Amino acid sequence: MNWTDAMHFVRGPLFSAALLFFIFGMLYRLVTVIALGWKRDHAPAKSSKVVGGVLNVLRSAIIFPFVPRIREAANRNPITYLAGGIFHVGLFVVVMLGAAHVLAWESVLGFRWPTLPLPIIDFFAAISIIALIVLFYNRLSNPVLRLLTRTPDYINLLVVFLPFLTGFFMTHRLLLPYERIYTIHVLTVDILLIWIPLSRISHFMFYFITKPRHGARFAQRGAKP
Amino acid sequence: MFQNKDDTVYEVLQKRGVSRRDFLKIATITTAVLGLEYTQVGRVIAQLETKPRVPVIWLHFQDCTGCSEAITRSFNPGLASLILNDVSLDYHETLMAAAGHQAEAAKKAIMDANAGSYVLVVEGSIPTGFGMTSIGGRAADDILKEAAAGALAIIAVGNCATFGGIPAAKPNPTNAHGVWDLVKDKPIINVAGCPPIPEVMTNTIAHILVLGTLPELDALNRPKMFYAQTVHDRCVRRGFYDAGLFANSFGDDGYKAGYCLFKLGCKGPTTYNACASLKWNEGTSWPVQAGHPCLGCSEPGFWDAGGFYQGQSALIDVPGLTAAAGAAAVGIAAGVGTAAANAASKHRAEQATPSQVPADDKEKKS
Repeated sequence: MNWTDAMHFVRGPLFSAALLFFIFGMLYRLVTVIALGWKRDHAPAKSSKVVGGVLNVLRSAIIFPFVPRIREAANRNPITYLAGGIFHVGLFVVVMLGAAHVLAWESVLGFRWPTLPLPIIDFFAAISIIALIVLFYNRLSNPVLRLLTRTPDYINLLVVFLPFLTGFFMTHRLLLPYERIYTIHVLTVDILLIWIPLSRISHFMFYFITKPRHGARFAQRGAKP
Repeated sequence: MFQNKDDTVYEVLQKRGVSRRDFLKIATITTAVLGLEYTQVGRVIAQLETKPRVPVIWLHFQDCTGCSEAITRSFNPGLASLILNDVSLDYHETLMAAAGHQAEAAKKAIMDANAGSYVLVVEGSIPTGFGMTSIGGRAADDILKEAAAGALAIIAVGNCATFGGIPAAKPNPTNAHGVWDLVKDKPIINVAGCPPIPEVMTNTIAHILVLGTLPELDALNRPKMFYAQTVHDRCVRRGFYDAGLFANSFGDDGYKAGYCLFKLGCKGPTTYNACASLKWNEGTSWPVQAGHPCLGCSEPGFWDAGGFYQGQSALIDVPGLTAAAGAAAVGIAAGVGTAAANAASKHRAEQATPSQVPADDKEKKS
């Protein structure tokens, strides 16, 4: 197998298989997790659970540290807050608004949307890479975090880090010829797709379930989320 | 066509009325295109003056003759004629006047007379399916193997002869292959492209003729002197790519402004060829300059590498709606099954250790 064959393989059959596994795995987890939480409430709700759920989703969208609630969280874990925040913003910008990525989305979804110029994408990719390195260092250096961290958490960081790094190298023509680093880049994405349902990276899906769930639970008990 | 095979290239050119001045021009251009230093012109002249012409046999299989068409439009006509007439193109099904059994007999005679010293050029992919292409009643792969056996080297021209090209694209009904899939014991030079740039074809042959050695090859057996850089690396529109300025559709403002064609499906970043530097038609233009995205025609399997107008980063094989729905259904079913099993085992556990504490309080304690 030469590099061209490898490139066709990772962009073709392997991606296809990874995506199918991703769909399968995410739905499997979604169903099993949802099935855990259906317990009858014996006590009458103190306020509307629906309103509580919606409010909690809206509140969690406010990420600015000048909001008191957020400021407290940010002050408690400034590195996690800042680096984690930068990484998530960077991830969104790079994956959803990069020209090459939008073309990839188009091949899966059938439609495209406007993109941002490469230098901007490049900037966000760079700060995301730095943020991931900071988060990794933080895990190693913070004694509490280090105790909480298990091997899968390091794997999580690695499988997210690799697509960023190879994508950055590809953009800047570093290390390897374009088609090789491109092949490796898509391969890392395929691996990521397979790893997501098996790991906590699946939080991107559960996030939108746990937030209203927490809000509803708070409302039930009459607490302020 | 059938000249004294012991004549040197210069002698043949002289007989055809080429002046000494024109001969020196041909030698100089050849030196330049081969990427040799200016000081090497003398060496090239000496080689052309002393070396006997190299017999070339040009086989056609599943092809469109586009590569032959291209080579006749080489912008260095002296060099093209050198290849076509004077290097002695002894057998070329499109260009030769002879036909039928006589032509086949002549080919056999040339192969026997020049065993081990002729250059075999192959155009078109070779079908290996039973009862596919045959010439003079013989199967294509049989003809190739016979000709390859006595060849000094094989030059596969065009994407079909190198990597299978269009005939080998899915579903490949004739079970077509490139030369290097079938011939393993001879040096093979892949002059890839659809068609290859004429100068790349002529100069690859000239390299063997002048330097007496095979050119340095890359991992896909393509001469490095022409295929070392990607189209993207040397592209006239590269600056627009770096600046993030793209044409979004044919004819839009970005397209008219000459912006990068990446979003129109350009395969330049992964395509190794000399289009951007040598250009076509006497250096007039080349596809991307003329406003069309690169198709990646010098790369293996370029017909099966996604749509020509799909982005370079597009995925080639995406699961259809049915497959996706199937995976989703299996996921949901497996999830429901696991959830039911969880509930059942929990129920069993509760029955085995009956407790007075309500479920909610139990949760708090744990």
